[in-house]
Amino acid sequence: MTNPANSSLVFLFLRRMRLPLTVLILAYSIATLGFTLIPGMDDQGNPWRMSFFEAFYVVSYTGSTIGFGEVPYPFSPAQRLWTTVSIYLTVIAWLFSIGSIISLLQDPAYRRALRRARLARLVRNLNDPFYLVCGYGDTGRMLTRALTDRGHQVVVVEHNQEKMELLEVEDFQAPVTGFCMSANLPDNLVEAGLRSRWCSGVIAVTGEGHVNLKIAISATLLNHKVAVYASADTRGEADNMRSFDTDHVVIPVEEYERRLQLAIDKPDLFRLYHWLNSGPNARLTKPVVIPQGNWIVCGFSRVGRAAWKLLQERGMNVVVIHPEPVQFGCPEGTIAGRGTQAEELMAAGVQSAVGIVAATDDDADNLSILITARTLNPALFQVALENGLSSHALFRAAAPDFLGQPSSVVAGTILSRISSSLVEPFTQQLLAQDNDAARHALAAFLRHQSDHPPQFSSGRISVRRTPALARVLQAGGQVTVGELLSDPRDWQQRLHLEVVFIRRQQEDILFPPDELPLAMGDRMLLAGRDGEAARLRAVLENDERLEYVLTGRDRQQGLIWQWLEGRGH
Amino acid sequence: MNMSKVVFGFFVLLAVTLNFGFFIGDIDNPDHHDVYELFAALVVGLIATVLKFGERSQMGAILLASSLVVNLQLIAAVVVWGIAVHITEVGLTPKVMASIVSLSGGALLANLVSLVLLTLDTAGLSRR
Repeated sequence: MTNPANSSLVFLFLRRMRLPLTVLILAYSIATLGFTLIPGMDDQGNPWRMSFFEAFYVVSYTGSTIGFGEVPYPFSPAQRLWTTVSIYLTVIAWLFSIGSIISLLQDPAYRRALRRARLARLVRNLNDPFYLVCGYGDTGRMLTRALTDRGHQVVVVEHNQEKMELLEVEDFQAPVTGFCMSANLPDNLVEAGLRSRWCSGVIAVTGEGHVNLKIAISATLLNHKVAVYASADTRGEADNMRSFDTDHVVIPVEEYERRLQLAIDKPDLFRLYHWLNSGPNARLTKPVVIPQGNWIVCGFSRVGRAAWKLLQERGMNVVVIHPEPVQFGCPEGTIAGRGTQAEELMAAGVQSAVGIVAATDDDADNLSILITARTLNPALFQVALENGLSSHALFRAAAPDFLGQPSSVVAGTILSRISSSLVEPFTQQLLAQDNDAARHALAAFLRHQSDHPPQFSSGRISVRRTPALARVLQAGGQVTVGELLSDPRDWQQRLHLEVVFIRRQQEDILFPPDELPLAMGDRMLLAGRDGEAARLRAVLENDERLEYVLTGRDRQQGLIWQWLEGRGH
Repeated sequence: MNMSKVVFGFFVLLAVTLNFGFFIGDIDNPDHHDVYELFAALVVGLIATVLKFGERSQMGAILLASSLVVNLQLIAAVVVWGIAVHITEVGLTPKVMASIVSLSGGALLANLVSLVLLTLDTAGLSRR
């Protein structure tokens, strides 16, 4: 079947060629007709007229500016006059037609259509799993970068020309195809490969919640198999998305609120959670202790409101600063202003406060609040909201004690979910843990993880996936979690890997102890250094390596070696 | 009134009439078939084809196809003429003339199909 976009291009081209081609045909036929009518003379001086054949021959080489001269006989003055006329006629007709072809090819609309047709062909020819990322803002960029680093192909849909140009100059580890079109229209998503059988996930991270909602609906309706990850603005949108089985929905404000809450109540769990869910470039934060006392919240935005409520619930005294206290329903005693002026902060009692939350919608304001407040009271605990990734360097330099970046929060949670479907239940159970359990888990990770967050991967113990382990288990052998994690190069060493979660038919086990025996059908979630999971997978597939890992003995290959070994014992 | 429809209708009709004018007469008598008329029929036929380029409708597609048939037949007739007169120098014998005229007769048939289609299209348009 031909692609509609492609054939419409052909139609457009042909339609535009109507006039130039008509002009060309008319010019040639007038010139040819003229030559057959003009009287001439042959070499004997007899009156002679060209036939159509000769006339067309003369016009053909004249029109193309080749010019063989006057054949078959020297021209009469009348014929020369007509030759002059036909030269101008045909050459101008050619210039006109070629000019229109070139102007058509340079027409921006035509070029855009041509480009889209080429990209659509590219996507149709993809034969590796790929992810469809809708929206190339800060979040989309981070996701694309991380996914390509893991070797996945990515198709990006973004309607903003400038952002697309950004995409084109960036260098990725895997092929990235960028469509400059609105992700709002389902047809565009289909063109970008939504219905392709290689499309393994759709990620809706445009800046607008309702567009994300529409993308999630289109994705679930048009491709049942595809996994959908979306970012939502409000709880209503999120509930709507979950109602039709969107695989993962993240609400940035709620996620930020959750992290702030964890930081207050369970600081170590906060460190662990934040580390695991902030993208591949996340760093483990230093232990934070949120001080008790008077707080200032600048900007009663959704994040500011959440922070105010949270701090208030913990029994702290919170003063809010907001430009328009009445319209936004700010609490009693709110100070009017943006919080960037020293007087406003003084009025809010900055000198006696223990902490400040800069949560306005403007990054410059937030930075200004931090710096002003710091001069007034250097001991303040500073919490800041970073709205756009563009000022990230400034925020890093300002170094607040607690920094919230919506884009990395969204990208990080989505990325960890993409790694495995077990991450979601793992996270739920992790959040229910107390601080001590989180501290132990963090210590376990830190045995082999430096600053980079561990990477998730998962696997199932089955005859097909882990043949070697399955043979041992079916023969009645017992293998524990700890035994499995021995390094296949040196069995006394341990792989830089942890089994963090096991899902069985009956139960879920969070952070299984080393002594836990494994069973057929277990699904394991692993977290560790990049590439270590591949080592473990090789062990589970290969009998010799598994035996070495379990017993520390190298099984000799081949019958003679096995016989010799048998005699030795 | 749509100017492009007028122009297209004009060229289709002119192609039919010129083609008919060339075709009519004894099939093997060169005196009954003028070369200028064949030339005019071919040029008008080519223009009618180009004017139908890029039409998306079903009717437009069939019209384009029939005009292409017209051109193919007429070009074949012209080539036969050229070869007979200039290359092999057989001249316009009754046999050659008969084959030229019968080729143009085929073109006439395709031209008539174009005409009928155009009429149907117009009739359908007025009913809507």
